[in-house]
Amino acid sequence: MSAAIPDCVLLLLQESLAAWRVRGVIARNAAGGLELCAAGTLIEIARAPEGLPFRWLVGVAERKRPVSGLAGLLRAVRALVDPDFRALPVRIAALPLAP
Amino acid sequence: MIPIWVLTGFLGSGKTTLLGRLLKSPGFARTAVIINEFGEVGLDHDLVETSDESFVTLQTGCLCCAVRDDLVLTLEALLRRRASGTVPPFERVVIETSGLADPAPILHALMTQPAFEGRLALAGVVTTVDALTGAQALARYPEAVKQVAMADRLLLTKTDLLQAPATSLIARLSALNAAAVLSTAAFGEIAADQLFGSEALPVALERWLRTSPAAQARQGGHNHASDITALALVRAAPVRAVALTLLLEVLAEHVGGDLIRLKGLINIAESPERPAVIHGVQHVFHPPAWLERWPSQDRRSRLVLIGRNLRQAWVEALWTALDAEVDEVSGAVPAAADTTGEGLRPEPRPGRASFPAR
Repeated sequence: MSAAIPDCVLLLLQESLAAWRVRGVIARNAAGGLELCAAGTLIEIARAPEGLPFRWLVGVAERKRPVSGLAGLLRAVRALVDPDFRALPVRIAALPLAP
Repeated sequence: MIPIWVLTGFLGSGKTTLLGRLLKSPGFARTAVIINEFGEVGLDHDLVETSDESFVTLQTGCLCCAVRDDLVLTLEALLRRRASGTVPPFERVVIETSGLADPAPILHALMTQPAFEGRLALAGVVTTVDALTGAQALARYPEAVKQVAMADRLLLTKTDLLQAPATSLIARLSALNAAAVLSTAAFGEIAADQLFGSEALPVALERWLRTSPAAQARQGGHNHASDITALALVRAAPVRAVALTLLLEVLAEHVGGDLIRLKGLINIAESPERPAVIHGVQHVFHPPAWLERWPSQDRRSRLVLIGRNLRQAWVEALWTALDAEVDEVSGAVPAAADTTGEGLRPEPRPGRASFPAR
């Protein structure tokens, strides 16, 4: 069984909708995941099952895609609710861990 | 390392007059100047280079690549001539932008060009503001607002023409960018080092981080006239490097177009004695600089963002959630049933890094 989705992730998604100027509501569902309704789309967000190299599953109806972290989760959600969003074509290299 | 200063300012704000004066002063000796065009004021100097940057204002979309080619070629040629002795050994470079230019592509070019590594370093942005017409320019032209918001140093020009102190204009400048040092110049007269003198990085950064939150509190953190917002975030606990990387990545991806400047002094968990200095312009982030030691007793991470329509609550929530996720994945905070054991991995996407890990 996967862990429940932390409150901080729920808050982040709520604040993200506001930051993107997208009207929507987010609620926990009976399965322990989240349901986000915005732009006429119902998006389901859940923890990935154990044993998968991903942390999240996100998508509409049966079309779920796995993402490995919150950065990917936000990208996936915004792509579904904001038609003007274009994913950044560059990556930020990891900081050197030490000087 | 040769410092590069970018001199910008709206049309008619006195950039060329300023340069004309400075080029005659001993304090400006050993300075190479790159200008986009010769102005009305004759610039009699051994180290003036021309760079045909005027096309920048005619382009649409991302200008990074367009400006990079010309500016980088000009700078590389200048460095070659310096090495060969065909120009004096300049110790500072000043790049003057055109009056309608967005400084960001120029900063991007300077921040991301590998050929400059170890030879040239962006020192800062100086923005001239006409004391007489500056308020109107800020009200009408977003380019003028951006030039002010990006500045490290602001120069109020033509103060000799004022009938009364420019109180409201100064208040406006403070609202847009309280962290920038504000100087005044009458008849273009100002000491070169006051504008283009290098300040020790810890000193400059501490001033930036100290000023912005205070100013934000005074101004309510938001300038409604232009939607320019200054956010200040503080974290007492050290930040894991990967959490900071993810934070910068999400900021770049979701608000990069609206992010004008970002500066931070970060207590990295993996390097508790040597804080990291981070610096970004829009979606491009400079490789972190590591200070030798903390500049003060304050070891909290401090991050200041200036941009359009930024939401403090979103950035706070983002940082908190990323911290929690990284802690959970690394095992610092055990998850009740999350036993995937997988680390955070970047999503597979094409492209290149905004800054290389060096």
